[in-house]
Amino acid sequence: MSTNCRRRLIRDFKRLSTDPPGGISGSPCPDNIMLWNAVIFGPADTPFEDGTFKLMLTFDESYPNKPPTVKFLSRMFHPNVYANGELCLDILQNRWSPTYDVAAILTSIQSLLHDPNPNSPANAEAAQLYRENMKEYVRRVRATVEDSWLDPDEQVAMEQDSAGQA
Amino acid sequence: MEMEEKEKDNETTRPSNARLEVCDQRVKIKKWHAIAQWRWDTGNNDPEDDGEGDVCGICRVPFEGCCPSCKMPGDDCPLIWGECTHVFHMHCLLQWIGTASSKQQCPMDRRPWVTAERKVD
Repeated sequence: MSTNCRRRLIRDFKRLSTDPPGGISGSPCPDNIMLWNAVIFGPADTPFEDGTFKLMLTFDESYPNKPPTVKFLSRMFHPNVYANGELCLDILQNRWSPTYDVAAILTSIQSLLHDPNPNSPANAEAAQLYRENMKEYVRRVRATVEDSWLDPDEQVAMEQDSAGQA
Repeated sequence: MEMEEKEKDNETTRPSNARLEVCDQRVKIKKWHAIAQWRWDTGNNDPEDDGEGDVCGICRVPFEGCCPSCKMPGDDCPLIWGECTHVFHMHCLLQWIGTASSKQQCPMDRRPWVTAERKVD
């Protein structure tokens, strides 16, 4: 069994806990170091301000030579986030480097929040509103900010409730 | 390579014990213990600047340690320098270069990786 990846993840966790970049937090699941939960706080002075967006990172043994799979658990409205929570971010795909660690990944995602790339849209509606109707874009994002304060399970329950009422 | 001597056991000799050839010698070295310290020449003269010394950017283990695949630091787990001046544990870099997604690029600057003969200043 290769433990290189696990050793690196322990170092990533150490760095994240001793010298945490502002507005992000993350830790491995207690029973599985290959599975991490993370939270990105919406950056101030952006529509995402005050949001607590949860993510899950899944590593395999090829880390850090391959990037982890990163997925938002919180519902997002962002030009580069797919409906299933997966992201379109170059450093997690063709511009990955093994020198990146968990802190670097989360910091990049945080900066993607206030600096979307409308040229590679994962959510066409969000990309269009971002380009053409900023007011409506901000309104839709603010709705996800409020959702983000709930537990992802609670969110699902609420969506089922409102679907049942409709 | 840096060498230093440590742990000299000194003993002050009493005048009555002083022999002719050591009559002006105040201390007599009973034994000494040599300690050698080595360090890769990575061009960083201030290895304490981040408290942990210089680390390999890929595995984050200090250069003086070994890559995660090896057990012993030293010549069996050497460093590798690129023409771009970046340096890594050789095993870490070769593993990355061996993946298709690396496109044979340096992990630091994405320039095509060209191994240098030795450290590039």
